[in-house]
Amino acid sequence: MSATYHLQVVSLDGLEYEGEVQKILLRTIDGDIEILARHTNYCTAIGMGTAKVTMEDGQERKAACIGGMISVMNGEVRVLPTTWEWSENIDVERAREAKARAEEILKDKQLDNEARIRAEAKLYRALVRLGSSGQEHNINID
Amino acid sequence: MAGSMKAVKLRIKSVQSTMQITKAMQLVAASKLRKAKERADESKPYLETMLTTLTDIANGNTDFRSIYTKPGDNAERWLYVVIAGDRGLAGGYNSNLFKFVEAEIKDKTDVTVLPIGKKSVEFFKHRNIPILTEEYAEVAKITISDCFQIAKIICGSYGGEGFGHVFLCYTNFVSMLSQVPTATSLLPLSDLRSEEQESDGKPKDLILYEPNSETVFDAIVPEYLAGILYTSINISYASELAARRTAMEAATDNAEEMIETLSLYYNRARQASITQEITEIVAGAES
Repeated sequence: MSATYHLQVVSLDGLEYEGEVQKILLRTIDGDIEILARHTNYCTAIGMGTAKVTMEDGQERKAACIGGMISVMNGEVRVLPTTWEWSENIDVERAREAKARAEEILKDKQLDNEARIRAEAKLYRALVRLGSSGQEHNINID
Repeated sequence: MAGSMKAVKLRIKSVQSTMQITKAMQLVAASKLRKAKERADESKPYLETMLTTLTDIANGNTDFRSIYTKPGDNAERWLYVVIAGDRGLAGGYNSNLFKFVEAEIKDKTDVTVLPIGKKSVEFFKHRNIPILTEEYAEVAKITISDCFQIAKIICGSYGGEGFGHVFLCYTNFVSMLSQVPTATSLLPLSDLRSEEQESDGKPKDLILYEPNSETVFDAIVPEYLAGILYTSINISYASELAARRTAMEAATDNAEEMIETLSLYYNRARQASITQEITEIVAGAES
């Protein structure tokens, strides 16, 4: 059995997870990282992507993880995302609708810059949710 | 005699109708409070974990190149974000917070305020304290994306020519009966450093930042501000409702007491007038 460490995931909606895990994989602003036990003190900002948490018993859980930060301090790992949704809790229907809506907005060629950025962000979030839900093919976002 | 009876009756009526209002407000506040407290409880762990994490970071690393981590050139320019309520009739909720803020800013010369909540805007306008933006006057309508907007404004006006320190004042929800005005430092992060750490002389923990501390902090700080704002707005809102409920409960109790005393007066006046009438009749019959 591999070494475990204490992980805390706290989003704006409250404490999402607390307990021992083997590893967590998530996408930061600088690419994917995986934190194993005994990682050095570390801090970075989270991008948008699917997080994979491997529990103490080796079981893997997926979640949509968007924004926020991750910090490792003296073996204590804290993930503070803006949004964290476990795959089983993702509202796939809503994400699909959001995706369609965002795509519709982006079709408009005369869109001003700020509206475009907002619509793109919406589209990304919808895609991440769909990708993390496990019900759609995994979509890779750069 | 009949005149004072009428006056007392009118007074009872007016107290009664006031009591009806306070009673209704108490019930509304109590039912809203339940939901607000739930939301406040949900967001509390985020606030606490976020603050401990950032305190750890501030305690650990001294090699910062990001503007967010050390006081800027204008260390004497202060920005206060003050979260108050939209409405009064909440006991000491607003006035306690404002008293607290006044004590905080008393010996600072260059203070600007970003008020959130109508009462907050009114108060600082009245005091002629410069206001950064009045856009977020309605605390009940603030959403997460508004918080991100506010965070953006704060980040934009911080550092360089702008503010040297950013503080947040809100009312902490301790329990249903106790709400305490609180201030936390938001920026720079070095203000979060705890004092004992500074003096104990232990080597500081090194932290690895990827890709580098500047990029990390530029990405984290707006999120951190928005998160903290959102959670403290939730907590303040719960405090406001709790304060209102307590105040209205007290008002209702007082009204009840008043009605009791007034009805006593009324009955006494009534009795007196009856006695007088009898005396008059008897006196008339005898003569």
